[in-house]
Amino acid sequence: MKDKPFFAVIYMFVVTAFFSAVLIGFARLTRDKVEANRQIAFEKAVLEVFPDIEARTNAQIHQIFTEQFEQVVDSYVYHKDGQVVGHAVPVEGQGYWAPIKGIVGIAADKQTITGIAFYEQSETPGLGARIVEPDFRDSFIGKQLADGDRPLGIRPAGSTLKNSEIHSITGATQTCVRLEKLINDGLVKWRQANQEGTQQ
Amino acid sequence: MTQLAPDKEIVINGLWKDNPIFRQVLGICSTLAVTNVVLNTAVMCTSLTLVTAASCLTVSLLRHWTPRNIRMMVQTLIIAFYVIIVDLILKAYWPEMSNQLGPYVGLIITNCIIMGRCEAFAGSNPPVSSFWDGLFSGLGYSLILLGISVMRELLGMGTVLGFAMPYFSNPDYWDKWIIMVMPPGAFFALACMIWLCRSIKPKEVKK
Repeated sequence: MKDKPFFAVIYMFVVTAFFSAVLIGFARLTRDKVEANRQIAFEKAVLEVFPDIEARTNAQIHQIFTEQFEQVVDSYVYHKDGQVVGHAVPVEGQGYWAPIKGIVGIAADKQTITGIAFYEQSETPGLGARIVEPDFRDSFIGKQLADGDRPLGIRPAGSTLKNSEIHSITGATQTCVRLEKLINDGLVKWRQANQEGTQQ
Repeated sequence: MTQLAPDKEIVINGLWKDNPIFRQVLGICSTLAVTNVVLNTAVMCTSLTLVTAASCLTVSLLRHWTPRNIRMMVQTLIIAFYVIIVDLILKAYWPEMSNQLGPYVGLIITNCIIMGRCEAFAGSNPPVSSFWDGLFSGLGYSLILLGISVMRELLGMGTVLGFAMPYFSNPDYWDKWIIMVMPPGAFFALACMIWLCRSIKPKEVKK
């Protein structure tokens, strides 16, 4: 029996079916939890781009997110005491290895960047992954978006910067090129959606 | 088969005599990749040890039925199965860690130590000793990795497990060696570790 050629086929089939079945069951068990984690990571990123918000626990994060943020088309409007104080614009696109997903925070003037946060990235640790480090993220704060289809520029380290530009990370050129593109794509899309919104 | 406690030889082989890192020089990719911070390394080592032990146990349980010509496929399947379970557990219950380790959890599948132990030991030995063999090979790997990561985190950031260490965290005394937390630092740290471990036991291969 064991020597017959078809035995190998049947055996492989049975073993694969068994392990896959167990995995599918396990994935179902954890799916809600994984989904909830992803949601909270997203909400946390949205809150992080506004330096005035202080939220520590996941419950606080979720509360502030549901109470003070309102989804408008693809972005989130941040309300405080009945006034609009900022916009959280989700940006995403291909990074060097895998998609990068993040949030850009923009003040009520729709020009000034208040912060940036990433909730999904798989860039090279120590190089591209340094985009999540405070030093790099802080360099966005206070920048003014430029008009046109390139609101933000990421320029090589050491170059002189305009008000809408930041320095890239040395050794992570590819990540920065892609990051610039995905941020600009997101911002341009948001601007267009916003203009249509105000005209109506 | 009836003996449940690990054989002394298996323990010594896994931890020292046949240590996967400095003796067999297997699993070097993850050694280089995840050792810049001690905590990440510890989680990676725990995952790898559990996966190796469980895979060896399963491979050994199935060894009488698995046709020889497809055994590699079956082994890969079993290893992938446990790695995905570890990945799911991390994603569900420790999302921050899952984020930090990123693709490296999935890459445990390709760690040569697991397949090496499945192929070299579990395929021809009873389940219980295969389990111990996998476990102690994993622990041998962990031992060296933790050594390397303590060295890298201490020299590169002045901390261990995120806690600031006296002397090393003081910028007046210690200039942080940034290269230690960068990928090239891993090569230096690994080489020093292998050098150190091999010189402790100078009498080698006298068969």
